Amino acid sequence: MQLNPSEISDLIKKKIENFELSSQAHTEGTVVSVSDGIVRVHGLSDAMQGEMLEFPGNTFGMALNLERDSVGVVILGAYQHISEGDTVKCTGRILEVPVGEALLGRVVDALGNPIDGKGAIETTETSPIEKIAPGVIARQSVDQPVQLGLKSIDAMIPVGRGQRELIIGDRQTGKTAIAIDAIINQKGTGIKCIYVAIGQKRSSIANVVRKLEEHGAMGHTIIVAASASESAAMQFIAPYTGCSMGEFFRDQGEDALIIYDDLTKQAWAYRQVSLLLRRPPGREAYPGDVFYLHSRLLERASRINAAEVERLTNGRVKNKTGSLTALPIIETQGGDVSAFVPTNVISITDGQIFLESNLFNSGIRPAVNAGLSVSRVGGAAQTKIIKKLGGGTRLDLAQYRELAAFAQFASDLDESTRKQIERGQRVTELMKQNQYSPMSVAEMSVSLFAANEGFLDEVEVNKVLAFEAALHLYMKSEYTDLMDRINATGDFSNEIKQEMQVAIETFMKTHSW
Amino acid sequence: MSELATLARPYAQAVFKRAVETDSIEKWSEQLFFISEVMSDHEIKSLVINPKVNIDKTLGLVLDICQDYVDQEARTFIKLLFENKRLSLMPSILSLFESLKSEHGGYIHADVLTAYDLSVEALDNLSNSLALALGKKIHINVILDKSLIGGVLIRAGDIIIDGSIRGQLQQMQKTLQ
Repeated sequence: MQLNPSEISDLIKKKIENFELSSQAHTEGTVVSVSDGIVRVHGLSDAMQGEMLEFPGNTFGMALNLERDSVGVVILGAYQHISEGDTVKCTGRILEVPVGEALLGRVVDALGNPIDGKGAIETTETSPIEKIAPGVIARQSVDQPVQLGLKSIDAMIPVGRGQRELIIGDRQTGKTAIAIDAIINQKGTGIKCIYVAIGQKRSSIANVVRKLEEHGAMGHTIIVAASASESAAMQFIAPYTGCSMGEFFRDQGEDALIIYDDLTKQAWAYRQVSLLLRRPPGREAYPGDVFYLHSRLLERASRINAAEVERLTNGRVKNKTGSLTALPIIETQGGDVSAFVPTNVISITDGQIFLESNLFNSGIRPAVNAGLSVSRVGGAAQTKIIKKLGGGTRLDLAQYRELAAFAQFASDLDESTRKQIERGQRVTELMKQNQYSPMSVAEMSVSLFAANEGFLDEVEVNKVLAFEAALHLYMKSEYTDLMDRINATGDFSNEIKQEMQVAIETFMKTHSW
Repeated sequence: MSELATLARPYAQAVFKRAVETDSIEKWSEQLFFISEVMSDHEIKSLVINPKVNIDKTLGLVLDICQDYVDQEARTFIKLLFENKRLSLMPSILSLFESLKSEHGGYIHADVLTAYDLSVEALDNLSNSLALALGKKIHINVILDKSLIGGVLIRAGDIIIDGSIRGQLQQMQKTLQ
C-alpha cells in the first residue's frame, strides 16, 4: 500500500485529535526477581488471578500466583529486557485475544498476533481466554455428525457436533494426519476449523499450513501456533486462545471444530511454569491442578441450544444451535495409556480414537485399534446410512480379532470360521485409506455396503483397495444421481439398497480392477 | 525482598501489639528507626555476619551504641533478634511497623512528585481531594522532580495517579505506535 507523506501526517493528526487525556489511577508494583520467564513483583495489592500486567517495553505478563507480599507473573514473550526494579502496571483486564471471521485463513500466535506475514487482522472483537463453559440449561444433546472423511472412524467411532473425542497414540502413529484430514473434509460444510499447534517444530507447522493450502482448506481454518521455541507460558495459553476463537463461532450459532495438537506438551509447559512458580509437585511432577487444566478447557467444547444462541447474539440469530467440537490429541510413551495425563484426558473426553504403532507399521493406516476406540455420544449423531451399514463392520472386525490367531491354520478350519477370517481380512483391508483423501458419505456407504453384502468376499485381499477405487469411479460416473441423493440426505431406504445392489452387481460383471 | 517481609512480619506485629498495649507507638517507632539505622551501618553489618567475631561481643557492642536511645523492652527485642539471627531484618521490620502504624491511625503516606513548587493552598486542596478519593487521612510528602515537565504524580502505596505532562506524553506515544 502506497501512502504519501501528507496522508501520514493527516493520519497522525487525526489520532492526536482523538487522543483523550486522562489521569486515571492505576496500581503499580516493582520487579523483585526475574528467572526463566517468571517474575516476582512486589506491590500490586489489587492484582487479579490471571490479570494481564504491563511491563516496560510493551511486554505483557499474566498474574498466576497471588501471594501475601508478592505476585508471581509469567511473561508472555521475551523477558530478557526486564530487570529488577522495573515498574509493573495493572491493566484491570483478564488476558484477551482477538476473535472473529477475519481470523479465518490466518496463522496467529498464542496472543492472536498474526505471524504469517499477511498484515494486520481486521477485527474489533476480543474475548478473554479463560471463560466459564456453558451451563446445563444452555446445552443441547449431540445429534448431528461431524464427518471426518475417514471410513474407519466415521463408521465405527462417529464424532458428533459438540463432542470431545480424544485422538491418542504413540509418536509416529498418524495422530496429526487424522486431524488434518478432518479439517480438509470440512471444506464446504460450513464447519469452521481451528488447529492449535502446541510445542511443535516450526517446520511441522509450516508443513501443516502448506498441506491445508494445497487442499484449499485454509479458507475455513485458523491456525494458532505456539511452537517449541516459544516460552512455556505461550504454549500453556495457546489452547485457551484457540478455544476462545472457536467459541466465537459457537456463540454465533455456527459449528466449529477445534484440534489441540497436542495436550501432552501443554501439560509439560504448564508443569514447567508451575515448578518455576514453586507450586508443590505431585504425580510425575505435575501440579495438583493439571486435571482442571484440561477439564476446564474441554468442557468449553459443547453444543448450545437456540435460546442460548439468541441470548448471546442479542436476538440477531434465531433458531440456530451452535457447537464447538474438540479433537484433543495426546501422545503416549510406549503405548502407556495409564500414565497421568492420558488417563485424565481419557476420563474427560466422550471417547477416544486409539492409534497403535504395530498396526501402523503393518500398513494399516489410519492405525485405528477398533477394539479400544470408542465414541460415547457419537452414535446418536451418526448419519443414518453409515449407522446402518457401519454396524456390521465393527462386528466383523471384532470376530476377526478373536479368530485372527488361527488364520495360519486356514486349511484345518471349518467353513464358517474360515469365512469369518476371510471377511475380517477384507474389512481390515477396506478400512485402509490414504492421507489427504477424505471420502464423502456416499463413497463410504458404497464401500461398506459392498463389504456387508459379501461382494468383497470374491475379491482377493490385496486387490480390495483397487476394487474400491474402481467401484467409486464407476459409481460417480454411472450413478451420479444416487450418490448425490445419499450425500444430501444421508437416509437409507430399501430403494437405495436395491439400487446399490444392482449397481455393484453390474460393476462386478462388467469391470476389472 | 518479598521473602524478607514474610520473615519480618511476626516481629513487626509483635512489637506493634506491645506498643499499642503500652501506648507507646511513637516511642517504638523512633527506637526501631534508630536500631534500623545502626544495623544499616556498613561496619556493624559486616560484624554481625562475621562468624569469627563472638556473638556476645557484637551484642554488647550494639547494645552499647543504642544505650542512650532505647529502653529496656527495646533492648530485650534486640537480644531476641540476635538469638534468632534476624538482626538483618531490621529495615523490613521498621517498614512493616510503619505501615501497621499508619493503618492503625487511619492515614496514608502519599508522595507528591511535582515539577514546580506547590503553594500551600494548592497542597491543601490536593490533600483534601485525595483524602476524599482514598477515604483516609493523608500525610503528604512533596518531592521536586523536573523530569515531569509539568503537573503532579501522586504515589500512595501501590496506587499511582499520574497527572504529569510526562505521563501524558507517554500515553500519547503508546496511542500513536
